[in-house]
Amino acid sequence: MSAPTESHQHSLVLAMDYRVPDPGKVWPVLQRSKAALAGLGAHYVLVYTSSREAGRVMVTISLRSKDPILQVLRSRLFLDWFDSVGLQDIPAIFAGETVEKFTLADPEPNGAPGVIMGAIARVDDVPLLVSRIREALPRFADAGIRNLRVFQAFDDEHEAMILQEIDTEEDASRWIDHPDPVNEWMGESGVGAYPPVFVGRLAHLMRIDENA
Amino acid sequence: MFVCLCNGVTSQTVADAVAAGASTTKQVAKACGAGSECGRCRHTVRAIIEATAAPEPKHRKGFLHRG
Repeated sequence: MSAPTESHQHSLVLAMDYRVPDPGKVWPVLQRSKAALAGLGAHYVLVYTSSREAGRVMVTISLRSKDPILQVLRSRLFLDWFDSVGLQDIPAIFAGETVEKFTLADPEPNGAPGVIMGAIARVDDVPLLVSRIREALPRFADAGIRNLRVFQAFDDEHEAMILQEIDTEEDASRWIDHPDPVNEWMGESGVGAYPPVFVGRLAHLMRIDENA
Repeated sequence: MFVCLCNGVTSQTVADAVAAGASTTKQVAKACGAGSECGRCRHTVRAIIEATAAPEPKHRKGFLHRG
């Protein structure tokens, strides 16, 4: 799958996972960049902080843009963020679209937020993976998975990002240590450009009004 | 994943360059442009070189970690 270059507006999700000396700086930098984010077409920015590795954060940005992906990624905004949080080595950035969402448990009002597990990896066949996940949903629910999203990269049809919300840290550990046979992505994350499986919690969410 | 933002080079393109014989960040930069501008993606390029060269996939224990 090649990166879309057509002029009409397209939706995409960017994800970046990195370590910084002070993760507390990430959110203020993003808040200060709100106007620039709106200019890029961003409508949601989510910041997750790792519960296992000090300083590790994962940021996802949902945006609608008329610009080609490369033009979005070349925005000075990203390099400025990395500079502002003291990051010299820039992380690889996932760029793709949502291909499937599964909700296994309705969110309980006032219920405790779940633990987020994020993985980016190469898989054999993204549609087949989605189909296998669908068949395995009862097992996923038994393991404590509340919801799951599968994203497919624009630049590589074999590359997927899987974000899962699971009940507790203990459930996350069990899921990672004893993955379901469907979870082929678990063994592929942490290789080459792909970060290891991220485990953490949603720390901040920014909704950006398109008309702002 | 997009590794080099300056030149819009993806991890797959870097992996292809490594598979074609590039074994250093300089050789990768020459082959596909990744890391040839600001150079801040060389850490990731190096990780791809190591993963591609390793007989078994090499997991990134040192993932962007500073001591």
